[in-house]
Amino acid sequence: MAEMQKIKLMSSDSAEITVDRDVAERSVLIKNMMEDIGEQAMTEAIPIPNVSSQYLVKPLQETNLPPQVNEAVLNKVIEWCVHHKGDPPATNDDDADSRKKTTDIEEWDQKFMQVDQEMLFEIILAANYLDIKALLDVGCKTVANMIKGKSPEEIRKTFNIQNDFTPEEEDQIRRENEWAEDR
Amino acid sequence: MTQSTNALEEGASSTTPSPLTNGILDITSPSNPLALSVSNSRQRGVSSFFIQEIYSHDRDTMVRSRPDILDSMSTSASSSSSSPERAAYDDDTDFFTAQRNDSESSIGVASLRDMTMSPSREREYRVSPISRLPPELLIGVFTKLSSSMDLSSCMLVSKTWSRNSVDLLWHRPLCNTWQNLESVIKSIREPGGYYPYHALVKRLNLSNLNDRVNNGTVKPFMHCNRIERLTLTGCVQLTDEGVCSLIYGSRSLLALDITGLDSITDHTLRAVSENCGRLQGLNITDCSKVTDDSLVEIAEHCHFLKRLKLNNCSLVTNESIMAVAHHCPYMLEIDLHNCRQVSNESITALISRGRQLRELRVGHCHLLTDAAFLDLPKNLSFESLRILDLTACHHLHDEAVERIIETSPRLRNLVLAKCKEITDRSVMAITKLGKNLHYIHLGHCAQITDTAVVQLVKMCNRIRYIDLACCHRLTDTSVKQLATLPKLRRIGLVKCQSITDKSILALAKANVEPRAKPLTQSLLERVHLSYCINLTLQGIHALLNQCPKLTHLSLTGVQAFYLREDLINFCREAPPEFTEHQRHVFCVFSGEGVNRLRNYLNESPETLYDTEGTMYDDREGEDMDTDHQVAGLMNATGLNDDDDDDMDEVDGGDGSQYELEGDR
Repeated sequence: MAEMQKIKLMSSDSAEITVDRDVAERSVLIKNMMEDIGEQAMTEAIPIPNVSSQYLVKPLQETNLPPQVNEAVLNKVIEWCVHHKGDPPATNDDDADSRKKTTDIEEWDQKFMQVDQEMLFEIILAANYLDIKALLDVGCKTVANMIKGKSPEEIRKTFNIQNDFTPEEEDQIRRENEWAEDR
Repeated sequence: MTQSTNALEEGASSTTPSPLTNGILDITSPSNPLALSVSNSRQRGVSSFFIQEIYSHDRDTMVRSRPDILDSMSTSASSSSSSPERAAYDDDTDFFTAQRNDSESSIGVASLRDMTMSPSREREYRVSPISRLPPELLIGVFTKLSSSMDLSSCMLVSKTWSRNSVDLLWHRPLCNTWQNLESVIKSIREPGGYYPYHALVKRLNLSNLNDRVNNGTVKPFMHCNRIERLTLTGCVQLTDEGVCSLIYGSRSLLALDITGLDSITDHTLRAVSENCGRLQGLNITDCSKVTDDSLVEIAEHCHFLKRLKLNNCSLVTNESIMAVAHHCPYMLEIDLHNCRQVSNESITALISRGRQLRELRVGHCHLLTDAAFLDLPKNLSFESLRILDLTACHHLHDEAVERIIETSPRLRNLVLAKCKEITDRSVMAITKLGKNLHYIHLGHCAQITDTAVVQLVKMCNRIRYIDLACCHRLTDTSVKQLATLPKLRRIGLVKCQSITDKSILALAKANVEPRAKPLTQSLLERVHLSYCINLTLQGIHALLNQCPKLTHLSLTGVQAFYLREDLINFCREAPPEFTEHQRHVFCVFSGEGVNRLRNYLNESPETLYDTEGTMYDDREGEDMDTDHQVAGLMNATGLNDDDDDDMDEVDGGDGSQYELEGDR
């Protein structure tokens, strides 16, 4: 077997990061890109800004959207991909199981997700953009765990969210969704 | 007992997509042209597009007192229609829940995020990083919340959170208590509601309250025209009037379960055929008034039907089934259990025309003869067929079984219980299924001998479930061979009266031999040994200690047990309908009872065998240390309580009648 191919990725702040091809291909987006553009991908760095798909259609210079997958985030995502490189594709059994315990997260992932909120949501956005389902899943579960069991006020505090309801509106919604407060 | 069998296995084989992968990633993916065109339009324009798309059907009935809310709702409404699974409380018990296609049909256009970033938004992002998540990802997070309590908290956090969680919460309103149901109904009826709740309900399951639900209860739901799954199992007070009020206008209905509603007539089913053209699943088990008249119409109008259960619909004849075979090309599962007027031509047609047919259950269709299978077209092979249940089709012979195996080489589950005519020749044919065979029921096929069973085990080593009840010719030779099956989880040997402790010790030992992986444990979960009269306490004790996953052990009529007051303590209650004598011999351990029995036997081994003098000497040969190890493992595995819907050996002393539980 030939040595593992290397791929260069470029973060939004122009840092170049070299990774093994199989690591990079945890991202369905990158995998598809490589299939589309072929050999060229091996030589030039693949830019990873987090913007809409618009980016991929229009020429690069036209986009003036804020860069989001910066070096730190990209490194973090790659760290995850390296650790999970050998994961078998999700099986049906796992699927059935995950339906039961939606917010169970394996230990390594839990530690991995112990980051500040800014980084946490950057990771989720990056996972979504790069189409890394398992990472997105872990991210969403992590946030869900931060919500679980909390009152609306506690949730607002946790995420620093402004309550934009009037007391009347809040009251109405509470009344109309009373049934859901069971369990 | 009718089979709700294999729902589990079947369910596992179909993936349940998370809305994230389905709707959302696709949308943001560069290869999706829709995403591009939509994302280039302005947010405002998109919203109105949504509204039109989503609410066009019931514009007349919609209450729209708050255009601003409706407007902002559009994003969430569309995203959630990709049928979010609120995992933990999937209380639907209908047989089609696990299938992805049924729930996928309403995937709308996912929401998008604003492409430009204003300075104020940037500030917001810094203060509250979660505000960076676009609606589809926020919904992705909410999807992971399994309790409606948590979702209802989310609804009160802020307007953004509210409109992105309301769909998930109302997707399947929790009608587990009467109080909740009343509260749900109140909100649905409320003309000035904050959200148009009636349009958000996609699943309605009233089976938990089936003893109280009547026509008046369901009327308020008549405006919930977006329901995709309606589960009314056992709501016996409902009549045509009530069910029809739910059916009229429900063009989105994909699955209807009215099991046990015995006053339902053709009237309701005709309404279904007229209103629910997208119907994929229909369960009318025990609706015994339904006739061919309406079922033919269903077949003619609901071409997308995939799953049909007509158990005990005694008026159904070949006319209905032939119509289904002709008009419903996508049929996957059909259950005609005890449709006693159905005969050969229906079965031949279903198999030969239903090229996707995966599951066919025709137990107790006693008119069936060999011709049903011998008439299948010669040159065809039915690669899709996985499950075939021919329970008590008395007239089948070896010729039919051979033909079945020949044409359906990928059968995984085969039930031939009470097909009394079949012999070793059938079993030899079955061995050709090889690794495909996972589940085989040959109970009451009394002509079968050790030779066939040994061969079956050699050829089909993936068998997980085997039932050989009342195959009285079988001896320890068969069971020793069965014990070598590496994946065996359930074994039924009720009334195989020749078997002895040798069999049981083989079952206990086979899987702990270090031939494969060092930590291979016995996978046995359910063992049925009732009326195996030669068994002793020692054998069972060994079995208990070597099978940490055991959750069910039946020993009814085994003297070594039912005469022991101390052991009976751990046994579960006999069913109420049992006679005095049946109670006396009843002896089934399940769930915690198995653990307690094991612990009890392990704790005081020296006194246990006293009552049976012969055992005492053997004890020294046993390795008590391993016992403790196994007991430790036990605790680690965290066994669940017995959740099987098993039907235990219902058996009087005469031994004439009993049934084994269906697999799950």
